[in-house]
Amino acid sequence: MTGTAFELTVNGEVHEVLAEPRKLLTDVLREDLRLTGTHVGCEHGACGACTVLVDGAPARACLVFAIQMQGREITTVEGLTPAQGLSPLQQALHEEHGLQCGFCTPGIITTFEAYLRENPEPGAAEIRQVLSGNLCRCTGYDGIVRAIKKAARIMREGASA
Amino acid sequence: MSGTNAEDTKRDGFGQIGKPILRKEDARLLRGRGTYVDDIEVSGALHACFVRSPHAHARIIRFDMDQAKTLPGVVAVLTGQEINAWTNSLQLAPPIEGLQPTEMTTLPVDKVRFHGDPVACVVATDRYVAEDAAELVYVDYDSLDAVTSYESALAAGAPLVDEALPSNLVSHQKFEAGDVARRKAEAHRIVEATFAMQRMTHLPIETRGCIAVWDDGRQHLTMHIGSQAPHPMRSALAGRLKLGEHQVTVSSPDVGGAFGQKIIVYREEITVAAIARHLKRPVRWREDRLENLSSSLQARENTVHTRAAVTADGRILSLEAEILEDFGAYCFYPANYLARVIGMILTGPYRIQDYAFEVKIALTNKCGAGPMRAPMAITSLVMDGTLDAVARDLDLDPAEVRRVNMLRPTDLPYVMPTGETLEDVTPSECFERGLEEIDYAGFRARQADDCAREIYRGIGICNVIESTTYGSAFYRAAGIPGSGHEAAWVKIEPSGAIRASTGLMGTGQSYETPYAQVVAEGLGVDTSQVDILLGNTDIAPYGMGARGSRGATAGGGTLFLTALDLKAKMLDIAAALLGLNSPRELDIENGKVLRQIGGEWMETGVGIADIARTAYLDPLNLPAGTQPGLEMHRAWDPPQMTYSNSSHFCAVTLDAATGQIRIDRYLVVEDCGTVLNPLVVEGQQQGATVMGIGGVLFEHMVYDESGQNLCGTLADYMIPTASDAPEIEIVAQHTPSKRTPAGIKGMAEGGVMGAIGAVNNAVNDALRPFGVVAERQPLSPDYIRSLLRVAV
Repeated sequence: MTGTAFELTVNGEVHEVLAEPRKLLTDVLREDLRLTGTHVGCEHGACGACTVLVDGAPARACLVFAIQMQGREITTVEGLTPAQGLSPLQQALHEEHGLQCGFCTPGIITTFEAYLRENPEPGAAEIRQVLSGNLCRCTGYDGIVRAIKKAARIMREGASA
Repeated sequence: MSGTNAEDTKRDGFGQIGKPILRKEDARLLRGRGTYVDDIEVSGALHACFVRSPHAHARIIRFDMDQAKTLPGVVAVLTGQEINAWTNSLQLAPPIEGLQPTEMTTLPVDKVRFHGDPVACVVATDRYVAEDAAELVYVDYDSLDAVTSYESALAAGAPLVDEALPSNLVSHQKFEAGDVARRKAEAHRIVEATFAMQRMTHLPIETRGCIAVWDDGRQHLTMHIGSQAPHPMRSALAGRLKLGEHQVTVSSPDVGGAFGQKIIVYREEITVAAIARHLKRPVRWREDRLENLSSSLQARENTVHTRAAVTADGRILSLEAEILEDFGAYCFYPANYLARVIGMILTGPYRIQDYAFEVKIALTNKCGAGPMRAPMAITSLVMDGTLDAVARDLDLDPAEVRRVNMLRPTDLPYVMPTGETLEDVTPSECFERGLEEIDYAGFRARQADDCAREIYRGIGICNVIESTTYGSAFYRAAGIPGSGHEAAWVKIEPSGAIRASTGLMGTGQSYETPYAQVVAEGLGVDTSQVDILLGNTDIAPYGMGARGSRGATAGGGTLFLTALDLKAKMLDIAAALLGLNSPRELDIENGKVLRQIGGEWMETGVGIADIARTAYLDPLNLPAGTQPGLEMHRAWDPPQMTYSNSSHFCAVTLDAATGQIRIDRYLVVEDCGTVLNPLVVEGQQQGATVMGIGGVLFEHMVYDESGQNLCGTLADYMIPTASDAPEIEIVAQHTPSKRTPAGIKGMAEGGVMGAIGAVNNAVNDALRPFGVVAERQPLSPDYIRSLLRVAV
């Protein structure tokens, strides 16, 4: 196996990676670390399926090389999932039929985990505006918007409780 | 046992069917633990990458592969010379009058026919290296003139796309019922209209891909591939690879959307499997987005001209339609497959008996076309758009013109001029309900006021008759290999665990949950106890797969009948356990056997687990003639067609300065029979409607005059985002079918049909003050402005 050795911090864990410098973060996450919840939909930053958090902010994992992410904290959908059950956002997507094929879903979860932390009470128009960076071909988006509104409410209640 | 009859299964008060049960598949998908094809790890797998034609039409002169072959990590570079020797070609020659037989090899060797046509395959130890090597393959081409439109394809002296055919007119059919000439002579007026849909593509967010694993010891191929129809794919793969069907397993994991794009086996997939077999090593391929946009099936690109003979009050006496389609470079399906359904159901929910249509399909130098969610998508736009043209021509209200032509409840069952029978549909009820819900009269009043203030509003109506659940009789007539039946099995294991399977494979339609509901309903247990296994041809029974909105009726219906048969067997065993002569007074509820005593249902103390234990582990105590075990297998062939109906209403505002369209309100009233799970049905209706809206307003697969595909990214081919999509209001008004198990009908394509019509009709309503009509989609700001510039 050839490549360059470097460290990558993903979901709070430090991984020793041996990969070519040109290898995309998506491919290292999926192939080297076997974190296949991050999906590849376009490889040009348009569909949003590969969205991960870099130091807490959403970023397209298909637009960066893994080696550039040394010293950063990467969070994937696996890192946002509790050991048992679902997060409030995941639970709301479940209850509001916010997914069908599920391929775009991890990118929506990562995007809105970050967004709702900063914007705990978004309106439907704001949610649609932010969601417009994640393409979904199945749902028509209504269920996703309902779910995000619901998750925001549950998370607010959880925070104030 | 003769088995349960489909027509005897309707009753009131289902316990599991119809409940809004949350999806079983969500737990894995939400946690990032789904398994899509590219998530499957296969050790030692090689990676394939295809070399594709940069020309729309060119002779292949020679290949130079030396540089590619010497790149470290490259295992093989193969062209049609080798691949075609290892595989059979695809021959399509169904006995359909006017359809030219076609044949295509796995990879082209003499010439390429479209920009993106695969000509060679590189296999390497790493995907990045395979892509590097593909760029090092040099192909010498001699470019040819390309035909890139329906018109140029059929022009005299046009270059031939398929040189084995006499012309590019690959299919031509005519149909007439009644006496159109006579009705035209009697008519007050003849109204003509034109409708055109652009070339589109399915755009699943997960592209295609596959992993071919050849077991050289057992001489067996396992194909991991996201597929809507695993069994037909297995048959096709075996045939193309010169293998026996028993030597092939197709295993479809989770699928990230398909919409018709993942039914057939493509040339790339056959190539990957052939190479895996030849090299005796697993080979995997992940299509990238550019390939998906340029080389996976595309769709639509049809034009329909109508001529309606009408009375002074807008009643249609006769209708003629000319249906023209650009089918692209290769026939992966019989070329008339999609257009024939348009002709077949075009008259929709309207009383028309004198009807004629002509279908002409041309080959062009573009990517091949195939079915995309609602292959007959243009149908309802054409019919309701023609009624709008009649209303404009006679200065009548569009709703009133629909009303005078629409089938009334007393007209049902109604035999359409093509011989199709409409029954258990409610077009006038849905239409009238929608007019009230959207406050049609109030809208017209506001529209007139606003127009005076130069605010241009429009309202569009589209009444949809949706053909669903195509049975064997349809597929036979359409020349599609295979059958329309579906098969299922339901098993209760010795432990009492319940598992079931059918031949369909879900690609996002949520099958696992409603299928568990029908099995639970049939057996008398709770849905949570049932596991559904789909997608693996060694496990699932043979069936035609997920296509043509047949999931609920064909898949769900067959599972329901199978579960009812298994319940009958369980009740026989329960009667023996209880010392009764007959199971007549017994039923199963919540897994417990109940007995009716004096009109009251009483618990017997026997449950499914007791029956399972007896059936498997104590067979000597079974009633005479009862086989051990609790497994039931059966098939069911749906009627030729099961029709659903809906009425779509769309209100828009047109910005006359920019040509931009804003959707202010969108409402659907739908009748799709017995609903298995309302959450799933609503999700399908909303998703389909937004897909239709995307087609009307944004999506356009553009080729230039030389046949270059100009849509290589998702910034060029634009699908609706959350900001573009309106909220879709759904009003449910369901009538069970008399012909299907539990009264189920199909749905999930009608939303596309309705949106294409309702949005377009709304925009034309808003354009009415300017005296112009939009005749082609997408209704981009540019196109709308070009119409308005002519108007002023």
